[in-house]
Amino acid sequence: MAFPTDENVIVGLDRADDAGVYRVNDDLALIQTVDFFTPIVDDPYWFGQIAAANALSDVYAMGGIPKTAMNLVGFPIGEMDISILREIIEGGIEKMKEAGVVLVGGHSVEDAELKYGLSVTGFIHPDRVLTKKNLKDGDHLILTKPLGTGIVNTAIKGGIASPKVIERVTHLMARLNRKPAEIMSRYEVHACTDITGFGLIGHLAEMVLDSVNGIRLQSEKIPIIPEAQEYAQMGFIPAGAYRNREFRASMTEFAPSVDRFLQDLLFDPQTSGGLLICVSKKDSRALEKELKTDGVQDAVIIGEVVKNGGEKIFVQ
Amino acid sequence: MNTKIDCRGLACPAPVLKTKELIEQEQPENLVVVVDNEAAKENVTRFMEHQGFAVSTSVEGSDFQVSGRAEGGAKAAPVKTVEPEELKQKIMVMVGTDRMGYGDDDLGLKLMVSFLKTLKEMGGELWRLVFVNNGVKMTVSESEVLPVLKELEEGGVHVLVCGTCLNHFNLLEKKVVGETTNMLDIVTAMQLADKVINI
Repeated sequence: MAFPTDENVIVGLDRADDAGVYRVNDDLALIQTVDFFTPIVDDPYWFGQIAAANALSDVYAMGGIPKTAMNLVGFPIGEMDISILREIIEGGIEKMKEAGVVLVGGHSVEDAELKYGLSVTGFIHPDRVLTKKNLKDGDHLILTKPLGTGIVNTAIKGGIASPKVIERVTHLMARLNRKPAEIMSRYEVHACTDITGFGLIGHLAEMVLDSVNGIRLQSEKIPIIPEAQEYAQMGFIPAGAYRNREFRASMTEFAPSVDRFLQDLLFDPQTSGGLLICVSKKDSRALEKELKTDGVQDAVIIGEVVKNGGEKIFVQ
Repeated sequence: MNTKIDCRGLACPAPVLKTKELIEQEQPENLVVVVDNEAAKENVTRFMEHQGFAVSTSVEGSDFQVSGRAEGGAKAAPVKTVEPEELKQKIMVMVGTDRMGYGDDDLGLKLMVSFLKTLKEMGGELWRLVFVNNGVKMTVSESEVLPVLKELEEGGVHVLVCGTCLNHFNLLEKKVVGETTNMLDIVTAMQLADKVINI
């Protein structure tokens, strides 16, 4: 399909990235993104927060600052009490406040299944747009949230997760990626994306595709939600994780020492996952340290970009 | 005892849940689960292995058969919900100052920072952390222990900050961690706690 374009499109449909970017003038570009989904937690207020944090994340992943948002709502009127919708939107607004974003409108339709999300517009300098490409040899990769939300959510569906685990993962998914985005803007960052449905490996694969580089991951460094490993061992793995693995198996090489359950986690689809930051080697330790001391405790260097890696991801 | 169940047409995690229910109720020595998708095959395999079965799989047309044999004749253990350890007691810590002890103020601040950083060693028994009077200054934007307090909060500790006190110091807008609270909440918490520690 041929899509219309123009010279001011910095990031468009031709490259699958987190958001679209359009140059307004030499100092300003608009970032636009939209995301919505069906409930992943029972509590409507927290679902609103998670959906908003997830939609805002695409702007942070491009290195931008979100400014305005619009609500997108699908609601089964008649089947569900309208107070539920109010709570969802209150949750969303709470996150928008935290992000410094104003809600300027929205649209709702009647729908068989409840859905909520945002369309978000952000600002960025046209020369500072961070995409999934532009990896440099020797760069380090930093991940800012632990993996495992897909597996934990499957365990929640199966009724085997404890209330404490549910609460912890809910807070994790509702956490904004604002802080790491602000902090990384002060360092030499070459590329960035946020981890969502394709899992860590899926997003890494997009980064190295059509490049000469590869990625080497230190599996023991990768942060995971502690309970996710046991749930994975018990077979509470979402079908999406197996699809992700099938799709990217040919690009991935696991060392024999890498446990099967850790492999599962690397393909686990994430909801409102962390940022994956590709930063120059000389800046990586300082960035990791500042993230950790400034409230992004889980942030850690998980691997590096290797030369002539042949678009492969090596997991050690 | 041989048991076979049909989980075709079911999406994850339903096949695992059916297998789990069967193992808990009948404790079969040999078990065959029929599924019709790759994800269910993988997940049922993982679950049976986790339950102590030796597992093999085979393809039957477009379906998969996952067969398990209880190893060493041992009965598979019933699955328990993964619960965190039961709390032994509920500890409430009241912080009424931004300095620990009397004497030197600089030292007092250092000690307070160190105290709050070390509090996590109480583990799951730390229940509520309440800041009153000068203590509320530990929760505002200039405080150097914000990451520590946020970490405690994410770990499930209730961090409460006295609203009257914030108001008194004109810090209502600057508080970044914890929930603003009132005297009734504080008194109720004291009553519910097994132990109240005053700093």
